[in-house]
Amino acid sequence: MMLHVDDVRAGYDRLEILQGVSLSVAPGQLVGIVGPNGAGKSTLLKTIFGYIRPFSGRIALRGKILNGCRPDEVMRQRVGFVAQAGGLFAEMTIQENLLLGGYSIGNTSAVRQAMDEVYERFPLFRERRRQLAGSLSGGEQRLLAIARSLIIKPDLLLLDEPSAALAPRFIDEVYATLRNLNAQGIAMLVVEQNTGIILDTADRVFVLEMGTNAFDGTPAELLADDRIRRLYLGSEAA
Amino acid sequence: MLESILEFLILGIVLGGIYAMFSTGLTLIFGVLDVINVAHGEFFAIGGYIVFVAVVLLHLSPVLGILAATSGSFLLGLAIYPLLIKPMKRRLGRRPQGPLFLVLTLGLSTFLQSTLLAVGGGDYLRVPPFVRGMLDLTFTAVSYQRLLILAIAAVSLAALFLFLHFHRQGMAIRAVALNPDAAQAVGINLGMVFTLALALGVGLAGMAGALIAPLFNVYPTVGFAFTIKAFAITILGGLGNLAGALLASFVIAIVETLSVLVIPSQWQNVIAFAIMILVLLIRPQGLLGRADHR
Repeated sequence: MMLHVDDVRAGYDRLEILQGVSLSVAPGQLVGIVGPNGAGKSTLLKTIFGYIRPFSGRIALRGKILNGCRPDEVMRQRVGFVAQAGGLFAEMTIQENLLLGGYSIGNTSAVRQAMDEVYERFPLFRERRRQLAGSLSGGEQRLLAIARSLIIKPDLLLLDEPSAALAPRFIDEVYATLRNLNAQGIAMLVVEQNTGIILDTADRVFVLEMGTNAFDGTPAELLADDRIRRLYLGSEAA
Repeated sequence: MLESILEFLILGIVLGGIYAMFSTGLTLIFGVLDVINVAHGEFFAIGGYIVFVAVVLLHLSPVLGILAATSGSFLLGLAIYPLLIKPMKRRLGRRPQGPLFLVLTLGLSTFLQSTLLAVGGGDYLRVPPFVRGMLDLTFTAVSYQRLLILAIAAVSLAALFLFLHFHRQGMAIRAVALNPDAAQAVGINLGMVFTLALALGVGLAGMAGALIAPLFNVYPTVGFAFTIKAFAITILGGLGNLAGALLASFVIAIVETLSVLVIPSQWQNVIAFAIMILVLLIRPQGLLGRADHR
């Protein structure tokens, strides 16, 4: 198993948001996490990446325990994190953002080579590399955040609502990119409010409710479950 | 009159260089850590004491004295985050921290001042000029000591700029100042950057203290007036904005120096704060600051 989260409890100060969440991601799998606002979806992602220390439970990556690791230590295990919005250095250029994406690599020539590969995948960013990241459109910023996470050649990407606040055509573009990357073997754990698109994309879906697991299965199984569909996904997915 | 203006303008530019070295360090620390370092002036004083020991007591060359002051204060700066700020941050969790860090650095300031007083005494210690002689510009003469201060300030600030823009760790410092969460997402260790930014900031203060020791003498509270002035400069430039601090340093120094041509000199120290209040009324984010600074 690529990622295994077992009975994790976590939160802020003494407030427990996650109350015993378990999930797993197999190599190359795209797993979605859906659920109502406040269910703990983003908290779960932040706990896996090390922004938040779990109170208890176990987070393992390829069998190695991540509990207590800082984000920079988790990232060195080839785990990328793409924040919901505002995850870029808006007052830095596109090139500087990508260079910083390779911060943990250290070796300058390796970073340059990885940047060339990213530029080949996203030629727009090569042309506009001296432009400030903050001047890009919302969709382009989301793509740049994804592009930046690729510099370390991740095995696993954690994405927090990649479709949030985007126009439909940008959502399609972002998800086309994610599907393409997933097809090349990068496993993904995606928190998403847009249930339609995640059910179309994911191999497996977890539903969180009040910090606990409410469902675990394939999108088809979820759509077949009337109670879950009605309670947590609303009419959109139905 | 024109000659007087040029003469005071040159003095203002030299003073601006000193303010810039002091204020950019303070601004760097605030921009990265969100901590107002009230003890900044004490590291300025420590730089002066180190250069006094090196040059006057040990008869080392001024170059070695300045290097010792800079590296000595830098090394002291390396200890501040892990020994003082990190434990406090850990205990406070997500509670608001600004006022408590203000009190913490105020305590550090008093501790360092008292230590300097206990160890070095309260006497004014005199450091001889590192270079002697004057540059004759026909309308005025400028001491080589002042020109040396300006040159070293320009070189060190240029080096800081290059470091922040082109070195991996410098870019990491800028990244943390702009967006700490995103910085962590690219693998930057916040603790390492906080430690480095603090050390660089107080290292610059130590270097400034060493450079101007021959002009101001050395005593425990020599940095206090600079600290107060640097607060005005930092706010005027835009909190956490290095380019703003640089610009504000020269604006305040030049206006302050030129002001003696039109107002009595005892009003000179009021100028910095009058400009600061005026700018804040018109542009609360400062000259180059952004209204949405975190």
